Amino acid sequence: MMSQLIQSIVDALSAGATLGLAALAIGLVFGVIRLANFAQAEIITGSAYCLIFTWDLGWYVAIPLSILVAIAMSLLMEFAVFSRMRTANPATLLIASFGLSFLIQRVYELMFSNNVRTAPVASGLAQTVEFAGVRVQLLSIATIVIAGALLLGLQLFLTRTSQGLQLKAAAADFKTARLVGIPAGRVIGLSFALSGILSAAVAFVLTVQTGAVGPSFGVQITILALVGAVIGGIDKISGSLAGGFLVGFATSMLATWLPQEMSNFKDAFVFVLVIGVLLFRPSGLLIKGRGVART
Amino acid sequence: MIDRTATSDEVALSAPRGLWYRLGPIWSLISLLAIVYLVTLVNSFLGDSVQVQLQYALVNLIIVVALQIFIGTSGVLSFGHVAFVAVGAWTVGLLTIEPELKRNLLPDLFPFLFDLNAPWFVAVLIGGIVGGLLALVVSPVLMRLNGLQAGIATFALLGVVNQVLTYWSSIGPRSGQSMVGIPDVLNLQTTMLFAMAAIVAAWLFQRTKPSRLLRAAREDGIAAASSGINVVSQRIIVFAVSGIVAGVAGGLFALTNRVVQSSQLNIELTFITLAMLVLGGMLSLSGAVIGTLVFSLVDVLLVRMQNGLEIGNFIVTVPQGARAIVLGLILVGMLLFRPSGITGGREFVWPFRKDRPLPGMPPTNEA
Repeated sequence: MMSQLIQSIVDALSAGATLGLAALAIGLVFGVIRLANFAQAEIITGSAYCLIFTWDLGWYVAIPLSILVAIAMSLLMEFAVFSRMRTANPATLLIASFGLSFLIQRVYELMFSNNVRTAPVASGLAQTVEFAGVRVQLLSIATIVIAGALLLGLQLFLTRTSQGLQLKAAAADFKTARLVGIPAGRVIGLSFALSGILSAAVAFVLTVQTGAVGPSFGVQITILALVGAVIGGIDKISGSLAGGFLVGFATSMLATWLPQEMSNFKDAFVFVLVIGVLLFRPSGLLIKGRGVART
Repeated sequence: MIDRTATSDEVALSAPRGLWYRLGPIWSLISLLAIVYLVTLVNSFLGDSVQVQLQYALVNLIIVVALQIFIGTSGVLSFGHVAFVAVGAWTVGLLTIEPELKRNLLPDLFPFLFDLNAPWFVAVLIGGIVGGLLALVVSPVLMRLNGLQAGIATFALLGVVNQVLTYWSSIGPRSGQSMVGIPDVLNLQTTMLFAMAAIVAAWLFQRTKPSRLLRAAREDGIAAASSGINVVSQRIIVFAVSGIVAGVAGGLFALTNRVVQSSQLNIELTFITLAMLVLGGMLSLSGAVIGTLVFSLVDVLLVRMQNGLEIGNFIVTVPQGARAIVLGLILVGMLLFRPSGITGGREFVWPFRKDRPLPGMPPTNEA
């Protein structure tokens, strides 16, 4: 019982970490240009395809390449589409990113067909290890380590470098940041690039987990990440992270501990929770008061 | 807030008015009904496969009208209307499948549902009521939210409803299965009449007090609230009305598709109907109608082209799969270059009147 509890907590931590990273990727961009980018899903899918196709060449080729693909796609979306819609409101931007997501999914279907592509990506991580009677997947631990390292790196970047501080300032209040001379274009590009890196990490974890990638590979996690970011407080970088983590953790725990006949409804429980949170804290869990309405 | 003080030109204009001018607001209704009628008429000569697609298009038209009633009037995003469509479809499925068949196909139903049966027309109306009731029940919670939060919360509603319909076998098929055996009673003409009825209903509703108050709140929430408008309660009314329309559309979807499956009533349908509304222009009823018809016609054309379309001596062919890409490109391009949609949020008016109504305001005779 005890070991089962610890095991489920490790799994939930890993699920929460993955979703937290995905939500953070959305929150970083949203903080700067008010765009909840649903097409993040397609960045994750693209990066995952890259891992699958290049894994034969060795991990030291595949992983850097998949990160590059994610950054390139993220920047391309910004330059081709979103940079032309700066005056649109968040709801319109969300619909536009839905449209983009739909479009890119169809392109994937055309290029790689509807069937999933498979490759044994980092199959070593799929093993189970046992210590002190607790059996955990190596991948769960790897996920937690990757997420921790990325967050630490991001934290150092945001607080110790000039570029990072500029980004942080822009995410807190874009208008004022521009007034004090922070270059808008560069900060926006930076936020998209960082969110690309985070997406690549999410893609890696998910690809190792499933070993199979199809055109709608990234959609499920992006939906949950978007939901998580909003309930945590998408206005704040830490809010998105915490919200994403919470949704991932709760979903995983519910999947383990709900009685058999109820476990099919685990997502329904999470969504009811989401509506409840939004009702009492419409701006998000980590935002005090009603939040500042910004345009 | 858009300030509309009458200019001297308008005062001069307002004095003598012809019959056509007085018919201004009705003109927008008549032209929409005529367009739907003509499209149906033309398509009914084009063979069976097009007719089937058109019937789906008309059902989508009703869903988009329902979306427009809420999103266009309130300016609040909703990803949740397909939930009302889904419960409408479920209701019609449960009420129209033969009791004998139901016992065999859906063995886990609540016992009282086995013998519940209704003529299809009544079933569609009940579907509308169920959709409206669901909207009414959830609206006190959802209608307090704005912007992105409203979008996410309505999306969560869709998620909950979809999971319940998928897995709760006491009110439907077992998970992974679908409801079959829905009678073949709906033809193209009847569907067209339903679509027209939905347009008339939406047009009439535009003229009621809740709709006017909510449009005012959409333009400037703070000003509306300080003029004594209770935005939340007006939104609840409008949400429930659009829920009824969406429920009816769901019932018609069940009768058109004749198989009801929760996976068909989920994110994809939400996205496609929203795309249609955005394409036409979400602030006007004309936008909902034009957007749906244009989207559907392009779709029909592209499907034809994938199979090779003959125009004179030429055969135009596009590769398989290009259809969805073109539709996606149209939507993204529209959002980039004309975010207010084809109609720009305007309604049709008598083409020769001089004062064009503002976007989103239905044309009226009061100057």
